[in-house]
Amino acid sequence: MDSNNDEALDIIVTNVVATFRTRCHLNLRTIALEGNNVIYKPEVGKVLMKLRKPKITASIWSSGKIICTGATSEVEAKLGARRLARCLQKLGFKVRFSAFKVVNVLAVCSMPFAVHLIDFTKNNRPIASYEPELHPAATYRIKHLKATIQVFSTGSITVTGPNVQNVATAVEQVYPLLFECQKPLCK
Amino acid sequence: MSRVALKCPNCGSSNVVEDDLYAQSQSVCVDCGSVVSEGFLANDPVGEVYYSHSAPQSKRPCSNLIKGLQRVRALCRVLRVNSEIEKLSQTYFEQAYNHKSFINVSLTKKEALAGSCVLISCRMHDWPVTVGTIAYLIDTDSGAVGAVYQETLNTLNICIPTLTELAAEAKELTKRALALVELAADSWIVTGRRPVPIMIAATYLSWQSLQPTKLRLKMTLDKFCQMTKVDKNRPAMKRVTEIKEMLCKLGNEIPWEKQEITPNNVIQQVEDILSYRFALMRKALKSYEDSLKADIQQCDAKNKKTMRTKTAELKTSSKTGSSVLETERANNGACDEPNWGKRLLFAPPCVVNPKKRKRAPSNQINVTGDEEISDSEIDSYIRTHQEVREIAMTQKLLCQESDNL
Repeated sequence: MDSNNDEALDIIVTNVVATFRTRCHLNLRTIALEGNNVIYKPEVGKVLMKLRKPKITASIWSSGKIICTGATSEVEAKLGARRLARCLQKLGFKVRFSAFKVVNVLAVCSMPFAVHLIDFTKNNRPIASYEPELHPAATYRIKHLKATIQVFSTGSITVTGPNVQNVATAVEQVYPLLFECQKPLCK
Repeated sequence: MSRVALKCPNCGSSNVVEDDLYAQSQSVCVDCGSVVSEGFLANDPVGEVYYSHSAPQSKRPCSNLIKGLQRVRALCRVLRVNSEIEKLSQTYFEQAYNHKSFINVSLTKKEALAGSCVLISCRMHDWPVTVGTIAYLIDTDSGAVGAVYQETLNTLNICIPTLTELAAEAKELTKRALALVELAADSWIVTGRRPVPIMIAATYLSWQSLQPTKLRLKMTLDKFCQMTKVDKNRPAMKRVTEIKEMLCKLGNEIPWEKQEITPNNVIQQVEDILSYRFALMRKALKSYEDSLKADIQQCDAKNKKTMRTKTAELKTSSKTGSSVLETERANNGACDEPNWGKRLLFAPPCVVNPKKRKRAPSNQINVTGDEEISDSEIDSYIRTHQEVREIAMTQKLLCQESDNL
Protein backbone atom coordinates (compact mmCIF):
# COMPACT_ATOMS: atom_id res chain seq x y z
CA MET A 1 0.00 0.00 0.00
CA ASP A 2 2.96 2.39 0.21
CA SER A 3 4.07 2.41 -3.37
CA ASN A 4 3.86 6.19 -3.37
CA ASN A 5 5.93 7.06 -0.35
CA ASP A 6 8.81 5.86 1.76
CA GLU A 7 7.03 5.78 5.10
CA ALA A 8 3.77 3.94 5.50
CA LEU A 9 0.63 6.01 5.71
CA ASP A 10 -1.58 4.76 8.53
CA ILE A 11 -5.12 4.27 7.34
CA ILE A 12 -7.20 3.81 10.49
CA VAL A 13 -10.62 2.28 9.99
CA THR A 14 -12.91 3.91 12.55
CA ASN A 15 -16.35 2.58 11.64
CA VAL A 16 -17.82 -0.33 9.72
CA VAL A 17 -21.57 -0.47 9.06
CA ALA A 18 -23.13 -3.81 8.15
CA THR A 19 -26.65 -5.16 7.69
CA PHE A 20 -28.11 -8.63 7.96
CA ARG A 21 -31.51 -10.32 8.19
CA THR A 22 -32.97 -12.75 10.70
CA ARG A 23 -35.61 -14.14 8.36
CA CYS A 24 -38.26 -13.95 11.07
CA HIS A 25 -40.46 -11.34 12.62
CA LEU A 26 -39.10 -9.91 15.87
CA ASN A 27 -41.27 -8.70 18.74
CA LEU A 28 -39.62 -5.47 19.81
CA ARG A 29 -41.47 -5.34 23.12
CA THR A 30 -40.14 -8.71 24.14
CA ILE A 31 -36.63 -7.73 23.21
CA ALA A 32 -36.99 -4.44 25.08
CA LEU A 33 -38.32 -6.10 28.24
CA GLU A 34 -36.13 -9.17 28.37
CA GLY A 35 -32.97 -8.22 26.50
CA ASN A 36 -29.77 -6.98 28.11
CA ASN A 37 -28.40 -3.54 27.24
CA VAL A 38 -31.30 -2.49 25.07
CA ILE A 39 -32.91 0.86 24.37
CA TYR A 40 -36.44 0.84 22.97
CA LYS A 41 -37.41 3.68 20.63
CA PRO A 42 -41.14 3.20 19.98
CA GLU A 43 -41.49 6.53 18.11
CA VAL A 44 -39.10 5.31 15.44
CA GLY A 45 -40.06 1.65 15.80
CA LYS A 46 -36.67 0.12 16.58
CA VAL A 47 -34.63 -1.30 19.44
CA LEU A 48 -30.97 -0.44 19.96
CA MET A 49 -28.88 -3.24 21.39
CA LYS A 50 -25.31 -2.54 22.43
CA LEU A 51 -22.73 -5.26 22.67
CA ARG A 52 -19.66 -4.83 24.84
CA LYS A 53 -17.23 -7.01 22.96
CA PRO A 54 -16.93 -6.27 20.05
CA LYS A 55 -18.17 -2.76 20.75
CA ILE A 56 -21.18 -2.65 18.47
CA THR A 57 -24.52 -0.89 18.41
CA ALA A 58 -27.28 -2.62 16.48
CA SER A 59 -30.63 -1.17 15.35
CA ILE A 60 -33.19 -3.94 15.30
CA TRP A 61 -36.41 -3.55 13.37
CA SER A 62 -39.45 -5.70 13.77
CA SER A 63 -39.22 -6.92 10.18
CA GLY A 64 -36.05 -8.74 11.12
CA LYS A 65 -33.61 -6.40 9.42
CA ILE A 66 -30.69 -5.34 11.59
CA ILE A 67 -28.00 -2.69 11.08
CA CYS A 68 -24.73 -3.03 13.00
CA THR A 69 -22.50 0.00 13.51
CA GLY A 70 -19.34 0.70 15.47
CA ALA A 71 -17.08 -2.17 14.44
CA THR A 72 -13.47 -1.43 13.57
CA SER A 73 -13.03 -4.09 10.90
CA GLU A 74 -15.10 -6.24 8.56
CA VAL A 75 -14.28 -9.40 10.49
CA GLU A 76 -15.29 -7.76 13.73
CA ALA A 77 -18.54 -6.62 12.17
CA LYS A 78 -19.38 -10.17 11.15
CA LEU A 79 -18.46 -11.49 14.60
CA GLY A 80 -20.62 -8.89 16.28
CA ALA A 81 -23.53 -9.61 13.97
CA ARG A 82 -23.37 -13.31 14.68
CA ARG A 83 -23.17 -12.68 18.41
CA LEU A 84 -26.20 -10.45 18.15
CA ALA A 85 -28.13 -13.10 16.27
CA ARG A 86 -27.22 -15.58 19.01
CA CYS A 87 -28.55 -13.12 21.66
CA LEU A 88 -31.82 -12.88 19.81
CA GLN A 89 -31.97 -16.67 19.50
CA LYS A 90 -31.57 -16.97 23.27
CA LEU A 91 -34.50 -14.61 23.70
CA GLY A 92 -36.61 -17.18 21.93
CA PHE A 93 -36.83 -16.04 18.32
CA LYS A 94 -36.20 -18.45 15.43
CA VAL A 95 -33.31 -16.48 14.05
CA ARG A 96 -31.47 -17.51 10.89
CA PHE A 97 -28.38 -15.44 10.13
CA SER A 98 -28.55 -14.43 6.46
CA ALA A 99 -27.68 -11.71 3.93
CA PHE A 100 -24.79 -10.25 5.86
CA LYS A 101 -23.36 -7.29 3.92
CA VAL A 102 -20.86 -4.58 4.83
CA VAL A 103 -22.51 -1.38 3.67
CA ASN A 104 -20.09 1.39 4.64
CA VAL A 105 -16.53 1.73 5.87
CA LEU A 106 -15.20 4.98 7.34
CA ALA A 107 -11.45 5.50 7.66
CA VAL A 108 -9.21 8.40 8.60
CA CYS A 109 -5.70 9.10 7.43
CA SER A 110 -3.24 11.85 8.20
CA MET A 111 -0.89 13.26 5.58
CA PRO A 112 2.52 14.41 6.78
CA PHE A 113 1.92 17.77 5.11
CA ALA A 114 -0.77 20.46 5.02
CA VAL A 115 -2.86 20.85 1.87
CA HIS A 116 -3.75 24.03 0.02
CA LEU A 117 -7.43 23.33 -0.59
CA ILE A 118 -8.04 26.03 -3.19
CA ASP A 119 -5.27 24.74 -5.46
CA PHE A 120 -6.47 21.18 -4.93
CA THR A 121 -10.01 22.11 -5.99
CA LYS A 122 -8.78 24.07 -8.99
CA ASN A 123 -6.62 21.20 -10.25
CA ASN A 124 -9.39 18.62 -9.91
CA ARG A 125 -12.24 20.84 -11.01
CA PRO A 126 -15.37 18.75 -11.53
CA ILE A 127 -14.46 15.88 -9.19
CA ALA A 128 -13.50 18.00 -6.19
CA SER A 129 -15.75 20.62 -4.62
CA TYR A 130 -14.96 23.08 -1.86
CA GLU A 131 -17.51 25.35 -0.21
CA PRO A 132 -15.85 26.91 2.82
CA GLU A 133 -19.13 28.51 3.86
CA LEU A 134 -20.75 25.10 4.22
CA HIS A 135 -17.94 22.76 5.35
CA PRO A 136 -14.26 23.41 6.02
CA ALA A 137 -13.13 20.39 3.98
CA ALA A 138 -12.91 19.81 0.25
CA THR A 139 -14.89 16.80 -1.03
CA TYR A 140 -13.43 14.48 -3.66
CA ARG A 141 -15.74 11.78 -5.03
CA ILE A 142 -14.32 8.80 -6.93
CA LYS A 143 -17.26 7.45 -8.94
CA HIS A 144 -15.93 4.09 -10.02
CA LEU A 145 -14.83 3.21 -6.50
CA LYS A 146 -17.95 4.80 -4.98
CA ALA A 147 -15.70 6.43 -2.42
CA THR A 148 -15.90 9.94 -0.95
CA ILE A 149 -12.80 11.63 0.45
CA GLN A 150 -12.97 14.74 2.59
CA VAL A 151 -9.70 16.66 2.65
CA PHE A 152 -9.00 19.11 5.46
CA SER A 153 -6.45 21.89 5.24
CA THR A 154 -4.36 20.33 8.04
CA GLY A 155 -3.69 17.31 5.81
CA SER A 156 -6.07 14.92 7.55
CA ILE A 157 -8.49 13.10 5.31
CA THR A 158 -11.55 10.97 5.98
CA VAL A 159 -12.53 8.31 3.44
CA THR A 160 -15.87 6.52 3.19
CA GLY A 161 -16.44 3.61 0.84
CA PRO A 162 -18.32 0.32 0.47
CA ASN A 163 -15.45 -1.84 1.74
CA VAL A 164 -11.94 -1.63 3.13
CA GLN A 165 -10.25 -2.51 -0.14
CA ASN A 166 -11.96 0.39 -1.94
CA VAL A 167 -10.99 2.75 0.84
CA ALA A 168 -7.33 1.77 0.58
CA THR A 169 -7.38 2.16 -3.20
CA ALA A 170 -9.01 5.56 -2.84
CA VAL A 171 -6.27 6.77 -0.51
CA GLU A 172 -3.64 5.53 -2.93
CA GLN A 173 -5.34 7.35 -5.77
CA VAL A 174 -5.70 10.65 -4.00
CA TYR A 175 -2.25 10.76 -2.41
CA PRO A 176 -0.36 12.10 -5.49
CA LEU A 177 -3.00 14.76 -6.04
CA LEU A 178 -2.63 15.95 -2.47
CA PHE A 179 1.13 15.82 -2.67
CA GLU A 180 1.05 18.28 -5.57
CA CYS A 181 -0.89 20.84 -3.61
CA GLN A 182 0.88 20.68 -0.31
CA LYS A 183 1.41 23.82 1.69
CA PRO A 184 4.94 24.82 2.69
CA LEU A 185 5.53 24.14 6.35
CA CYS A 186 6.58 27.52 7.74
CA LYS A 187 3.17 29.17 7.37
CA MET B 1 -93.76 30.65 -33.71
CA SER B 2 -91.91 30.60 -36.96
CA ARG B 3 -90.13 27.59 -38.26
CA VAL B 4 -86.56 28.83 -38.48
CA ALA B 5 -84.56 25.62 -38.57
CA LEU B 6 -85.46 22.35 -40.14
CA LYS B 7 -84.59 19.66 -37.68
CA CYS B 8 -83.57 19.33 -34.06
CA PRO B 9 -80.34 17.34 -33.87
CA ASN B 10 -81.36 15.68 -30.63
CA CYS B 11 -84.69 14.09 -31.39
CA GLY B 12 -85.03 14.74 -35.10
CA SER B 13 -88.29 16.62 -34.75
CA SER B 14 -88.85 19.45 -37.13
CA ASN B 15 -90.84 21.42 -34.60
CA VAL B 16 -88.24 24.08 -33.83
CA VAL B 17 -89.34 27.51 -32.74
CA GLU B 18 -87.55 30.69 -32.16
CA ASP B 19 -87.57 31.89 -28.59
CA ASP B 20 -86.58 35.27 -27.33
CA LEU B 21 -86.39 34.44 -23.67
CA TYR B 22 -82.98 35.89 -23.11
CA ALA B 23 -81.34 38.79 -24.82
CA GLN B 24 -80.34 36.46 -27.60
CA SER B 25 -82.77 34.75 -29.81
CA GLN B 26 -82.67 31.02 -29.50
CA SER B 27 -84.10 28.23 -31.55
CA VAL B 28 -85.69 25.68 -29.27
CA CYS B 29 -87.14 22.31 -30.18
CA VAL B 30 -90.70 21.98 -28.84
CA ASP B 31 -90.64 18.20 -28.39
CA CYS B 32 -87.42 17.64 -26.42
CA GLY B 33 -86.69 21.17 -25.27
CA SER B 34 -83.07 21.25 -26.39
CA VAL B 35 -81.72 24.49 -27.56
CA VAL B 36 -80.89 23.97 -31.19
CA SER B 37 -78.85 27.03 -31.64
CA GLU B 38 -78.40 30.52 -30.50
CA GLY B 39 -78.98 32.68 -33.46
CA PHE B 40 -79.67 30.13 -36.10
CA LEU B 41 -78.93 26.54 -36.65
CA ALA B 42 -75.53 26.05 -38.02
CA ASN B 43 -75.52 23.33 -40.62
CA ASP B 44 -71.85 22.60 -40.41
CA PRO B 45 -70.90 19.64 -38.31
CA VAL B 46 -70.07 20.40 -34.71
CA GLY B 47 -66.35 20.22 -35.08
CA GLU B 48 -64.19 22.76 -33.34
CA VAL B 49 -64.98 23.04 -29.68
CA TYR B 50 -63.35 25.93 -27.88
CA TYR B 51 -63.05 25.78 -24.12
CA SER B 52 -62.41 29.41 -23.20
CA HIS B 53 -61.94 29.49 -19.43
CA SER B 54 -62.73 26.11 -17.98
CA ALA B 55 -59.78 23.90 -18.97
CA PRO B 56 -56.73 25.89 -20.12
CA GLN B 57 -54.33 24.24 -22.48
CA SER B 58 -50.96 23.71 -20.81
CA LYS B 59 -49.33 26.34 -22.95
CA ARG B 60 -49.13 28.65 -19.93
CA PRO B 61 -46.21 27.98 -17.58
CA CYS B 62 -46.79 26.55 -14.13
CA SER B 63 -47.90 29.13 -11.56
CA ASN B 64 -45.21 28.04 -9.11
CA LEU B 65 -42.62 28.68 -11.78
CA ILE B 66 -43.95 32.20 -12.22
CA LYS B 67 -43.94 32.73 -8.46
CA GLY B 68 -40.44 31.35 -8.28
CA LEU B 69 -39.26 33.73 -10.98
CA GLN B 70 -40.83 36.61 -9.09
CA ARG B 71 -39.02 35.45 -5.96
CA VAL B 72 -35.75 35.36 -7.87
CA ARG B 73 -36.36 38.89 -9.09
CA ALA B 74 -37.22 40.06 -5.56
CA LEU B 75 -34.03 38.51 -4.16
CA CYS B 76 -31.96 40.20 -6.85
CA ARG B 77 -33.55 43.56 -6.08
CA VAL B 78 -32.94 43.16 -2.35
CA LEU B 79 -29.29 42.28 -2.95
CA ARG B 80 -29.01 45.12 -5.47
CA VAL B 81 -27.21 43.06 -8.09
CA ASN B 82 -26.90 44.29 -11.66
CA SER B 83 -29.25 43.31 -14.46
CA GLU B 84 -26.95 40.66 -15.98
CA ILE B 85 -26.94 38.68 -12.78
CA GLU B 86 -30.71 39.02 -12.55
CA LYS B 87 -31.27 37.69 -16.07
CA LEU B 88 -28.78 34.88 -15.63
CA SER B 89 -30.40 33.76 -12.39
CA GLN B 90 -33.82 33.76 -14.04
CA THR B 91 -32.58 31.57 -16.90
CA TYR B 92 -30.93 29.19 -14.44
CA PHE B 93 -34.12 28.97 -12.41
CA GLU B 94 -36.23 28.13 -15.45
CA GLN B 95 -33.78 25.46 -16.58
CA ALA B 96 -33.47 23.90 -13.16
CA TYR B 97 -37.20 24.09 -12.36
CA ASN B 98 -38.18 21.98 -15.33
CA HIS B 99 -35.52 19.39 -14.62
CA LYS B 100 -36.84 16.15 -13.15
CA SER B 101 -34.89 16.53 -9.91
CA PHE B 102 -36.69 19.76 -9.04
CA ILE B 103 -40.10 19.51 -10.62
CA ASN B 104 -41.80 17.51 -7.88
CA VAL B 105 -40.08 19.04 -4.90
CA SER B 106 -41.65 20.84 -1.90
CA LEU B 107 -42.24 24.57 -2.04
CA THR B 108 -39.53 25.35 0.54
CA LYS B 109 -37.05 23.50 -1.61
CA LYS B 110 -38.21 25.48 -4.63
CA GLU B 111 -37.57 28.68 -2.69
CA ALA B 112 -34.12 27.39 -1.82
CA LEU B 113 -33.66 26.64 -5.53
CA ALA B 114 -34.48 30.28 -6.30
CA GLY B 115 -31.92 31.41 -3.75
CA SER B 116 -29.24 29.08 -5.03
CA CYS B 117 -29.79 30.26 -8.63
CA VAL B 118 -29.18 33.82 -7.46
CA LEU B 119 -26.11 32.60 -5.57
CA ILE B 120 -24.70 30.79 -8.61
CA SER B 121 -25.14 33.75 -10.92
CA CYS B 122 -23.51 36.05 -8.36
CA ARG B 123 -20.58 33.67 -8.11
CA MET B 124 -20.23 33.57 -11.90
CA HIS B 125 -19.94 37.34 -11.96
CA ASP B 126 -17.63 37.51 -8.94
CA TRP B 127 -20.23 39.29 -6.84
CA PRO B 128 -19.64 38.50 -3.15
CA VAL B 129 -22.81 37.03 -1.68
CA THR B 130 -22.62 34.40 1.03
CA VAL B 131 -24.74 31.32 1.57
CA GLY B 132 -25.62 32.77 4.96
CA THR B 133 -27.20 35.88 3.44
CA ILE B 134 -29.34 33.83 1.06
CA ALA B 135 -30.40 31.50 3.87
CA TYR B 136 -31.39 34.50 5.95
CA LEU B 137 -33.40 36.04 3.11
CA ILE B 138 -35.22 32.81 2.40
CA ASP B 139 -35.60 31.96 6.10
CA THR B 140 -34.15 28.46 5.87
CA ASP B 141 -30.97 27.08 7.37
CA SER B 142 -27.76 27.38 5.40
CA GLY B 143 -27.26 23.60 5.27
CA ALA B 144 -30.46 23.17 3.27
CA VAL B 145 -29.51 26.00 0.94
CA GLY B 146 -26.07 24.48 0.53
CA ALA B 147 -27.48 21.07 -0.36
CA VAL B 148 -29.82 22.56 -2.97
CA TYR B 149 -26.92 24.63 -4.27
CA GLN B 150 -24.78 21.53 -4.84
CA GLU B 151 -27.68 19.73 -6.51
CA THR B 152 -28.31 22.68 -8.80
CA LEU B 153 -24.66 22.77 -9.79
CA ASN B 154 -24.77 19.07 -10.64
CA THR B 155 -28.07 19.39 -12.52
CA LEU B 156 -27.08 22.36 -14.62
CA ASN B 157 -23.47 21.14 -15.02
CA ILE B 158 -22.03 24.50 -14.18
CA CYS B 159 -18.41 25.08 -13.35
CA ILE B 160 -17.93 28.04 -11.10
CA PRO B 161 -14.60 29.87 -11.08
CA THR B 162 -14.44 29.00 -7.43
CA LEU B 163 -12.52 31.10 -4.98
CA THR B 164 -10.03 33.05 -7.00
CA GLU B 165 -6.82 34.30 -5.48
CA LEU B 166 -8.52 37.53 -4.49
CA ALA B 167 -11.05 35.70 -2.40
CA ALA B 168 -8.34 33.75 -0.63
CA GLU B 169 -6.52 36.98 0.01
CA ALA B 170 -9.72 38.48 1.31
CA LYS B 171 -9.84 35.81 4.02
CA GLU B 172 -6.27 36.41 5.05
CA LEU B 173 -6.95 40.13 4.96
CA THR B 174 -9.94 39.85 7.28
CA LYS B 175 -7.99 37.69 9.71
CA ARG B 176 -5.18 40.17 9.85
CA ALA B 177 -7.44 43.18 10.16
CA LEU B 178 -9.26 41.46 13.03
CA ALA B 179 -6.00 40.81 14.83
CA LEU B 180 -5.01 44.45 14.37
CA VAL B 181 -8.32 45.65 15.76
CA GLU B 182 -7.89 43.37 18.77
CA LEU B 183 -4.44 44.80 19.40
CA ALA B 184 -5.80 48.30 19.03
CA ALA B 185 -8.51 47.48 21.57
CA ASP B 186 -5.87 46.29 24.02
CA SER B 187 -3.93 49.50 23.66
CA TRP B 188 -6.79 51.93 24.17
CA ILE B 189 -7.16 53.02 20.56
CA VAL B 190 -10.67 51.63 20.11
CA THR B 191 -12.44 52.68 23.28
CA GLY B 192 -14.74 55.62 22.77
CA ARG B 193 -13.97 55.99 19.09
CA ARG B 194 -16.20 55.50 16.07
CA PRO B 195 -15.77 52.04 14.56
CA VAL B 196 -15.66 52.87 10.83
CA PRO B 197 -12.34 54.80 10.75
CA ILE B 198 -10.71 52.07 12.84
CA MET B 199 -11.94 49.43 10.40
CA ILE B 200 -10.65 51.41 7.42
CA ALA B 201 -7.27 51.89 9.12
CA ALA B 202 -6.97 48.21 10.06
CA THR B 203 -7.90 47.04 6.55
CA TYR B 204 -5.44 49.47 4.97
CA LEU B 205 -2.56 48.37 7.18
CA SER B 206 -3.28 44.65 6.77
CA TRP B 207 -3.52 45.05 2.98
CA GLN B 208 -0.15 46.78 2.97
CA SER B 209 1.42 44.19 5.20
CA LEU B 210 0.15 41.18 3.21
CA GLN B 211 2.56 42.06 0.41
CA PRO B 212 4.77 44.95 1.47
CA THR B 213 5.87 45.81 -2.05
CA LYS B 214 6.95 49.34 -2.86
CA LEU B 215 3.76 49.94 -4.77
CA ARG B 216 1.58 49.05 -1.83
CA LEU B 217 3.66 50.94 0.69
CA LYS B 218 3.60 54.05 -1.43
CA MET B 219 -0.15 54.03 -1.80
CA THR B 220 -1.63 56.52 0.59
CA LEU B 221 -4.82 56.02 2.57
CA ASP B 222 -6.70 58.39 0.24
CA LYS B 223 -5.78 56.42 -2.85
CA PHE B 224 -6.61 53.19 -1.07
CA CYS B 225 -10.07 54.54 -0.24
CA GLN B 226 -10.53 55.56 -3.87
CA MET B 227 -9.44 52.14 -5.10
CA THR B 228 -11.79 50.32 -2.77
CA LYS B 229 -14.62 52.77 -3.41
CA VAL B 230 -14.89 53.79 0.21
CA ASP B 231 -15.60 57.34 1.31
CA LYS B 232 -12.62 59.36 2.50
CA ASN B 233 -12.37 59.54 6.24
CA ARG B 234 -10.17 61.97 8.08
CA PRO B 235 -10.13 60.25 11.49
CA ALA B 236 -8.91 57.09 9.69
CA MET B 237 -5.55 58.76 9.07
CA LYS B 238 -5.16 59.53 12.77
CA ARG B 239 -6.02 55.94 13.62
CA VAL B 240 -3.43 54.73 11.15
CA THR B 241 -0.72 56.75 12.89
CA GLU B 242 -1.88 55.59 16.31
CA ILE B 243 -1.90 51.93 15.28
CA LYS B 244 1.52 52.33 13.69
CA GLU B 245 2.93 53.83 16.90
CA MET B 246 1.52 50.96 18.91
CA LEU B 247 3.00 48.47 16.44
CA CYS B 248 6.39 50.21 16.73
CA LYS B 249 6.34 49.84 20.49
CA LEU B 250 5.66 46.13 20.10
CA GLY B 251 8.05 45.74 17.20
CA ASN B 252 10.93 47.08 19.23
CA GLU B 253 10.56 44.06 21.52
CA ILE B 254 11.21 41.54 18.73
CA PRO B 255 14.45 39.85 19.77
CA TRP B 256 15.75 39.15 16.29
CA GLU B 257 15.33 42.69 14.97
CA LYS B 258 18.59 44.57 15.22
CA GLN B 259 17.39 47.80 13.70
CA GLU B 260 15.16 50.34 15.33
CA ILE B 261 11.51 50.00 14.33
CA THR B 262 10.01 53.29 13.18
CA PRO B 263 6.58 53.95 11.67
CA ASN B 264 8.30 53.85 8.28
CA ASN B 265 9.57 50.31 8.43
CA VAL B 266 7.00 48.77 10.76
CA ILE B 267 4.75 47.40 7.97
CA GLN B 268 7.22 44.66 7.06
CA GLN B 269 7.22 43.49 10.67
CA VAL B 270 3.44 43.48 11.06
CA GLU B 271 3.16 39.80 10.18
CA ASP B 272 5.65 38.78 12.87
CA ILE B 273 4.16 41.16 15.38
CA LEU B 274 0.67 39.74 14.86
CA SER B 275 1.75 36.13 15.12
CA TYR B 276 3.61 36.77 18.39
CA ARG B 277 1.46 39.59 19.66
CA PHE B 278 0.69 38.21 23.11
CA ALA B 279 4.32 37.51 23.96
CA LEU B 280 5.43 40.86 22.59
CA MET B 281 2.76 42.70 24.54
CA ARG B 282 3.86 41.07 27.77
CA LYS B 283 7.49 41.83 27.02
CA ALA B 284 6.74 45.44 26.17
CA LEU B 285 4.76 46.03 29.37
CA LYS B 286 7.46 44.41 31.46
CA SER B 287 10.30 46.39 29.91
CA TYR B 288 8.31 49.61 30.30
CA GLU B 289 7.76 48.87 33.99
CA ASP B 290 11.44 48.15 34.42
CA SER B 291 12.41 51.40 32.75
CA LEU B 292 9.95 53.29 34.98
CA LYS B 293 11.43 51.72 38.10
CA ALA B 294 14.90 52.68 36.95
CA ASP B 295 13.67 56.26 36.47
CA ILE B 296 12.13 56.36 39.93
CA GLN B 297 15.33 55.13 41.51
CA GLN B 298 17.24 57.87 39.75
CA CYS B 299 14.71 60.42 40.93
CA ASP B 300 14.97 59.17 44.51
CA ALA B 301 18.70 59.47 44.39
CA LYS B 302 18.37 63.03 43.12
CA ASN B 303 15.65 63.81 45.65
CA LYS B 304 17.74 62.69 48.56
CA LYS B 305 20.48 65.11 47.60
CA THR B 306 18.08 68.03 47.11
CA MET B 307 16.17 67.15 50.29
CA ARG B 308 19.29 67.31 52.36
CA THR B 309 20.13 70.76 51.03
CA LYS B 310 16.55 71.99 51.37
CA THR B 311 16.02 70.79 54.93
CA ALA B 312 19.19 72.52 55.88
CA GLU B 313 17.78 75.70 54.38
CA LEU B 314 14.33 75.25 55.92
CA LYS B 315 15.64 74.75 59.38
CA THR B 316 16.97 78.21 59.23
CA SER B 317 13.66 79.71 58.04
CA SER B 318 10.49 79.87 60.15
CA LYS B 319 8.12 78.14 57.67
CA THR B 320 5.76 75.39 58.90
CA GLY B 321 6.06 71.63 58.17
CA SER B 322 3.32 71.74 55.54
CA SER B 323 5.51 73.70 53.16
CA VAL B 324 8.21 71.00 53.51
CA LEU B 325 5.67 68.43 52.41
CA GLU B 326 4.65 70.66 49.49
CA THR B 327 8.19 70.90 48.21
CA GLU B 328 8.60 67.13 48.59
CA ARG B 329 5.47 66.52 46.55
CA ALA B 330 6.58 68.99 43.89
CA ASN B 331 9.91 67.24 43.58
CA ASN B 332 8.33 63.81 43.31
CA GLY B 333 5.88 65.12 40.78
CA ALA B 334 8.64 66.39 38.57
CA CYS B 335 10.41 63.04 38.68
CA ASP B 336 7.40 60.73 38.40
CA GLU B 337 5.20 61.54 35.41
CA PRO B 338 2.85 64.48 35.65
CA ASN B 339 -0.20 62.37 34.68
CA TRP B 340 -0.99 58.67 35.16
CA GLY B 341 -1.09 58.26 31.39
CA LYS B 342 2.65 58.30 31.16
CA ARG B 343 2.99 55.72 33.93
CA LEU B 344 1.53 53.04 31.63
CA LEU B 345 2.82 51.92 28.25
CA PHE B 346 -0.62 52.10 26.64
CA ALA B 347 -3.07 54.65 27.89
CA PRO B 348 -6.08 56.37 26.34
CA PRO B 349 -4.92 59.17 24.05
CA CYS B 350 -6.99 61.74 25.90
CA VAL B 351 -4.87 61.07 28.99
CA VAL B 352 -1.54 60.96 27.17
CA ASN B 353 -2.22 64.26 25.42
CA PRO B 354 -4.33 66.16 27.88
CA LYS B 355 -5.83 69.42 26.74
CA LYS B 356 -4.21 72.16 28.69
CA ARG B 357 -6.90 74.35 30.04
CA LYS B 358 -6.01 77.96 30.31
CA ARG B 359 -6.88 79.12 33.77
CA ALA B 360 -7.67 82.75 34.38
CA PRO B 361 -5.10 84.12 36.81
CA SER B 362 -6.64 83.66 40.20
CA ASN B 363 -6.73 86.91 42.05
CA GLN B 364 -5.51 86.52 45.53
CA ILE B 365 -8.22 87.97 47.71
CA ASN B 366 -7.27 88.69 51.27
CA VAL B 367 -10.37 88.63 53.42
CA THR B 368 -10.07 90.11 56.88
CA GLY B 369 -13.71 90.54 58.01
CA ASP B 370 -13.65 94.25 58.64
CA GLU B 371 -14.83 95.26 55.17
CA GLU B 372 -17.64 97.73 54.60
CA ILE B 373 -21.10 96.16 53.93
CA SER B 374 -23.54 98.52 52.22
CA ASP B 375 -27.18 98.89 53.42
CA SER B 376 -28.66 97.48 50.20
CA GLU B 377 -26.47 94.41 50.63
CA ILE B 378 -27.75 93.93 54.18
CA ASP B 379 -31.36 94.29 52.99
CA SER B 380 -30.84 91.56 50.41
CA TYR B 381 -29.82 89.16 53.16
CA ILE B 382 -32.89 89.85 55.40
CA ARG B 383 -36.18 88.13 54.53
CA THR B 384 -39.23 90.25 53.78
CA HIS B 385 -42.57 89.72 55.61
CA GLN B 386 -44.15 88.16 52.51
CA GLU B 387 -41.36 85.61 52.29
CA VAL B 388 -41.71 84.80 56.01
CA ARG B 389 -45.45 84.10 55.61
CA GLU B 390 -44.92 81.89 52.55
CA ILE B 391 -42.22 79.89 54.30
CA ALA B 392 -44.49 79.33 57.32
CA MET B 393 -47.35 78.11 55.08
CA THR B 394 -45.15 75.66 53.17
CA GLN B 395 -43.75 74.32 56.42
CA LYS B 396 -47.28 73.73 57.71
CA LEU B 397 -48.24 71.93 54.49
CA LEU B 398 -45.17 69.75 54.69
CA CYS B 399 -45.94 68.85 58.31
CA GLN B 400 -49.53 67.94 57.38
CA GLU B 401 -48.37 65.70 54.54
CA SER B 402 -45.89 63.91 56.74
CA ASP B 403 -48.64 63.43 59.37
CA ASN B 404 -51.03 61.98 56.75
CA LEU B 405 -48.37 59.53 55.58
